[in-house]
Amino acid sequence: MSAIDIDRLTKRYGDTIAVDDLSFKVDPGRLVGFLGPNGAGKTTTLRALLGLIRPTEGTATVEGRAFGDLEDPAHTVGAVLDGGMLHPGRSGRNHLRMLARASGVPTSRVDELLKLVDLAGAADRRAGGYSLGMRQRLGLAAALLGDPRVLVLDEPANGLDPQGIRWLRDFLRSMAAEGRAVLVSSHVLAEVAQTADEVVVIARGRSVAQAPLKELLATSAGGMRVAGPDAGRLAELLRGDGAAVDDAGDGAIVVHDRAGEDIGRLVAEHRLVISELSPIASSLEEIFFQLTGEPGTVG
Amino acid sequence: MTRLISSELLKLRSTRTAVALIASVVGLVVLIGLIATVTADFEQDEVMTVDLLGIAGFAQVFALILGVLAVTTEFRHGTVTPTLIVAPDRVRLVMAKLAAHALAGLILGVLAVGLTTAIVLIGLSSRDIDTGLTSDEITKVVVGLVLATTLWAALGVGLGALVRNQVGAIVGALGWTLLVENLLTIIPTVGDWVQKYGLNGVTNALSNIESATTGDVLSQAAGGALLVAYTAAFVIAGTLAMRRRDVTS
Repeated sequence: MSAIDIDRLTKRYGDTIAVDDLSFKVDPGRLVGFLGPNGAGKTTTLRALLGLIRPTEGTATVEGRAFGDLEDPAHTVGAVLDGGMLHPGRSGRNHLRMLARASGVPTSRVDELLKLVDLAGAADRRAGGYSLGMRQRLGLAAALLGDPRVLVLDEPANGLDPQGIRWLRDFLRSMAAEGRAVLVSSHVLAEVAQTADEVVVIARGRSVAQAPLKELLATSAGGMRVAGPDAGRLAELLRGDGAAVDDAGDGAIVVHDRAGEDIGRLVAEHRLVISELSPIASSLEEIFFQLTGEPGTVG
Repeated sequence: MTRLISSELLKLRSTRTAVALIASVVGLVVLIGLIATVTADFEQDEVMTVDLLGIAGFAQVFALILGVLAVTTEFRHGTVTPTLIVAPDRVRLVMAKLAAHALAGLILGVLAVGLTTAIVLIGLSSRDIDTGLTSDEITKVVVGLVLATTLWAALGVGLGALVRNQVGAIVGALGWTLLVENLLTIIPTVGDWVQKYGLNGVTNALSNIESATTGDVLSQAAGGALLVAYTAAFVIAGTLAMRRRDVTS
């Protein structure tokens, strides 16, 4: 059974479709990135999964059950949406305490988590004065209260500094390595994508891609770049062979439909001299743009 | 359920709102009670004592607001989302809020009514003025006022769950109790009904503070029963609304 199962989920608000027939699964031990531009329907999907909104059609279940039917929700799923949601007049420690009480988690766990997310020093200050990064870390602590088997995090990297993002990546990796299912949404690809086992990309409520990141990168690769004194001659030979070749300027060329090995063979056969032969990886942001039709925010 | 109530009580204690509201209302009521007791002119009739005790009734409208804040604050700041993630059962959540805020209303009521009563009784006796009331009558008024304060807090929880928007719920609560009901009493026939069965009417009946004045007033028990019924209606409506609606805050 999957830890998270989104099955043909649809949510309509009047005439607006927020989520449109979306399906994907997250298995235990997997870290899945849930990507899409702002307003693509990520938060709506997560809210449906957490029983906060009712799907118009389809289901979203955790370990085979609707969230509301879970026997011990706090120890099954830990989640944080939209960066925490705090009362500005309540201290971070009390925020965690009130959630701990409601879920039957001992207060000692609160202190433990405050240390883990490096908030012990600020825990007794009113949360209204927290930075976005501090709110994110507090939210993460809230999600971890019940030591859950499934983690759902909405844009957890928002507001974190580069060290914070790096820490978060390692942390999420370790959570998955411990056998937990981790679903992390983001509108900034680079933030989580590199660590994810798999990514689900949505745009306008629909799934546009769902694959391990390497596959996604491979299928969207940008061709081979060749440079060197004989690049021009190579281009002629390749064109003669029916390949699509562009002139990249400064004597370099870009070959679109030949693998690196094919090009290398041709070079050897004709005893050509080249100085560079390298794949052009499209950046994550370019792939994101292709898939969603919107510019991916460069993180 | 115990866990949820304990969580709600911590929510109440961990921001300044409830404590500040209770402290300032009690302070205000006590101050007005004190001034009124010292300056009251008792040449006319014994009804004055009841009116002085009734000053503590000002606490009711603030208890109502305290109750309204229970759910509306969670929606305003979005804390309803983490709350529902650890405890998804919305009916139990409203019930826990009801218990915690009724307790807060009770504390507000006990403090406001208790202190006001003490000041009035001590003040009058030091001025050698007879209260004109038996201790039974005073007890009835005191218990009625405290119960009314508690119930208004509970009613506020239901109203807040129903409306969810903080400003809307507070404006609605104050507008109805302080303005609309009073305006309606101007209308013939309907006015008499509102005066008798309206929120203020049944509350006054429960508090027993108008029994000696003119007008058609319910008995204390009937007033109390109706106020409980109104409270239950709002709590049920609010709970159903909470159960059904999407939470997107």
